Amino acid sequence: MTSISYPLAERTLANGLRVIVSEDHAVPNVAVNLWVGVGSRHEAPGRTGFAHLFEHLMFQGSRNVASGEHFSALMDEGARLNATTWFDRTNYFETVPTGALDLALWLEADRHGYLLDAVNQENLDNQRDVVKEEKRQRYDNVPYGTALIDIYATAFPADHPYHHPTIGSMEDLDAATVEDVHAFFRAHYGPNNAVLTLVGDVTPEDGFAAAERYFGHLPAIELHERPRLPQLAPLTAPVRLDRVGDVPNDRLYVAFRLPVDTTPEYHACQVAVDVLGGLASSRLIRRLVRRDETAVAVGGWTMGLVDGVGLGAFTIDVAEGADVERIEEVLCEEISALAEHGPDAEEMESVVADTERSWLSALASIEERADHISHHALLTGDPGYVNAFVDHVRAVTPDDVRAVTAAWLAPESRAVVRYLAEPGATTGDEEEAA
Amino acid sequence: MSTPTPDATSGATRPVVAPPQPWAFPDPVTHDLPNGLHLVTYDVPGQYVLSVRLGLPVSLRDEPRDREGVATIMARTLDEGTEQHTADEFARLLERKGVGFGAGLSDAGLSVDLDVVKGNLEPALDLLRQILTEPVFPQSEVARQVRTRLAEIEQERSVAAHRAILEFVRTFYDADDRASRPTGGTRESVSAITRDDVVAFHAEHVVAAGVTMVVAGDLGGLDVPALVEAALGGWQHGPRERGRHLDTGATLAGDRSRVVFVSRPGSVQTELVVGAPGPDRSVEGGWAPFPVLGFVLGGSPNARVDAVLREEKGYTYGIRSSFRPRRRGGLFLTTGSVRSDSTEDAVRTLLEILGGGSTGFSDKEIRSGVDFISKTAPGRYATADSIADEAVGMALDGRTTAFTTENLRDIATVDAARVDAAFRRFAAEAGISGEGPGAGWTIVLVGDADAHLEAIRGLGLGEVTVVRDAAR
Repeated sequence: MTSISYPLAERTLANGLRVIVSEDHAVPNVAVNLWVGVGSRHEAPGRTGFAHLFEHLMFQGSRNVASGEHFSALMDEGARLNATTWFDRTNYFETVPTGALDLALWLEADRHGYLLDAVNQENLDNQRDVVKEEKRQRYDNVPYGTALIDIYATAFPADHPYHHPTIGSMEDLDAATVEDVHAFFRAHYGPNNAVLTLVGDVTPEDGFAAAERYFGHLPAIELHERPRLPQLAPLTAPVRLDRVGDVPNDRLYVAFRLPVDTTPEYHACQVAVDVLGGLASSRLIRRLVRRDETAVAVGGWTMGLVDGVGLGAFTIDVAEGADVERIEEVLCEEISALAEHGPDAEEMESVVADTERSWLSALASIEERADHISHHALLTGDPGYVNAFVDHVRAVTPDDVRAVTAAWLAPESRAVVRYLAEPGATTGDEEEAA
Repeated sequence: MSTPTPDATSGATRPVVAPPQPWAFPDPVTHDLPNGLHLVTYDVPGQYVLSVRLGLPVSLRDEPRDREGVATIMARTLDEGTEQHTADEFARLLERKGVGFGAGLSDAGLSVDLDVVKGNLEPALDLLRQILTEPVFPQSEVARQVRTRLAEIEQERSVAAHRAILEFVRTFYDADDRASRPTGGTRESVSAITRDDVVAFHAEHVVAAGVTMVVAGDLGGLDVPALVEAALGGWQHGPRERGRHLDTGATLAGDRSRVVFVSRPGSVQTELVVGAPGPDRSVEGGWAPFPVLGFVLGGSPNARVDAVLREEKGYTYGIRSSFRPRRRGGLFLTTGSVRSDSTEDAVRTLLEILGGGSTGFSDKEIRSGVDFISKTAPGRYATADSIADEAVGMALDGRTTAFTTENLRDIATVDAARVDAAFRRFAAEAGISGEGPGAGWTIVLVGDADAHLEAIRGLGLGEVTVVRDAAR
């Protein structure tokens, strides 16, 4: 058992920017990580995908920075950088040599404060095209690529903010205007809707001073954040969606609404999903893959979210010729057995050991450590969660697992998405013609 | 470009960057076991998950031609049952100690990876001993791994990026060379693999002679050599000596300079692979200019390729180029996907950009490449797993991480003249010349051939072959 105790120092600037510094001088680098409290859950109907398109525009120049210069100026100094958008937030990050920390903060402050000086129709049109190719590459042109989109739409109600995916609809992106960009920036991009985390070769004093130097003058914005939605109850009857098409094998996704992130019930659900499908020694793998040989692979995962619901799912790749209906029955049997009897001591030991190693691996790099710190500072309130997470999982009892399995993973609460291979689809055999 | 002037409302002027201090790859400590195992350790304080990597000089060329994939099946079945434990029990033992384990093949050899929290290194090494020296390869587990690999073959064929690479190696390498066929074997060869094949391959090749073992992480308070001796000292050397790295190069196809279009009717994108033979790390004039060259051509959103195909034309989410050295010879590969209706213009433009290296590079773009590669090194090699991966990769290439440090020092001296010379050398050896836009390149497209074939033929890139995957 390794005790996890990364140092954390925190200060909030007068304009509301939360700054967290975690000192680590192992390497002369600093990870700069900004989380902004806007994601696809904030998008209005008819404007899905906008938060992500907006993130692309953040690389197209700002008041004192030319289009593309954010990338080039930082890469020339040895930065590795990017940005991502998700349901609950948008993040911007770079890992820089210590001497380039000030430049990174100056560039970030320029776009987080003065993006709109540089936004124009040409940038918008170009990045809209790039985002469409991103969607085609990652979702449309990949077998099962749209499965997650189907899972969200099946598990969550149509009016729920997680019903639509972050990538959004291409029709909505086509409708986006430069005016929308202005309105979105003014509504969401301000120091009081962001967290800045610095991890690495910097002291808290120097980190806070640098944050003040570059971000201190940015004005707070008027935030109109609605309260988060109340916890969504589990489904009361199974919901199903089948897609028949050109996939290499049948794949079954069985998803469940879960409690929101970082609650004790969510942690217990994480353990339950691992016991059932998340580890190499999980029950569904032993039964479906090793014993029955009806599946070639089984996975189990959970997604921590904050707006009234989380998500958990099992993914099962069906062996050729196996009965997909029967596999779903077996899954339900295994869930019911866990709900009745709970996990055994070895299963609990395995989940904790696996969680500890994967969490420590995640925190091993300063950039991922910074990302987790920003995450919990912005979304769940406590950056110290990075040090406490494994203890939270360790505190889960077998009886907790039994109880949450019965409450949240009950077979009648499942959302089932199936990707079924169409007879006559292509196989690996080839014929060649000039 | 930017205006680096004070701005009253922006509050702060653009900062000047202090150059970083010189940096070197962490220092290893080495230790040799009598059975031939060469241990290399890196103490990296603060890295609480230890990364253990073994590199075995096992060649895919040693697989029987009709059993290709046996090395991969063997690697995947290593932890699926030992003399003392069933597959189920062993999976549970690994997980109770929080051990992440994996093994796989590449052109360079067999890699065995194990990650574990510091406090569990000793029991993890005992599990590793059982994996390497006591696997029993139960019939049922071998059969399951064969079925899993067959399903994986279907998955790989269905993913355009994988499909493109499979077609690329088939086109680029001579049909008699192992490199022209999938590392994990084909449907036919994998279907024929039996338990006996796996047992025989393991017995002959998974021996201690010539093995390099790397342990990286926070090693304070641990006597790693003693722990490794205790766990793996009894691992058999094997009947013969063997070097620590493989030394064979691959034979290229005589007709490799051509276009192959894998037909995917209705595809919304076209996947591209454009490749040519490149150097290995022992190239005359030094390896250092080549990573810079790859970066400048296609290593970033501002590189020549994406500056046009992504940022100007919006055809792609991103296309990347890089030089990929092997022990003898290497590859220069450009991969990515473009909107289907841009296929013709994207291919033409891409070849113009890649071939345009012959007209030289500016000091500014070379400076950018040199700075990025040099200055990112401390961060790229900061974690236990990245250090261990680099170390075992160098070992299987017949080098040590001293090369990593020396090469970084050399990269810092690279200028436009050296890159220009490197490009000329590469282009001459690959046959990229004025004879035509396709000369020297192997080009694989996966997309809607019916819609774009004539346009691609019209580019005059040489012979264009269409491959259609058959119906089930």
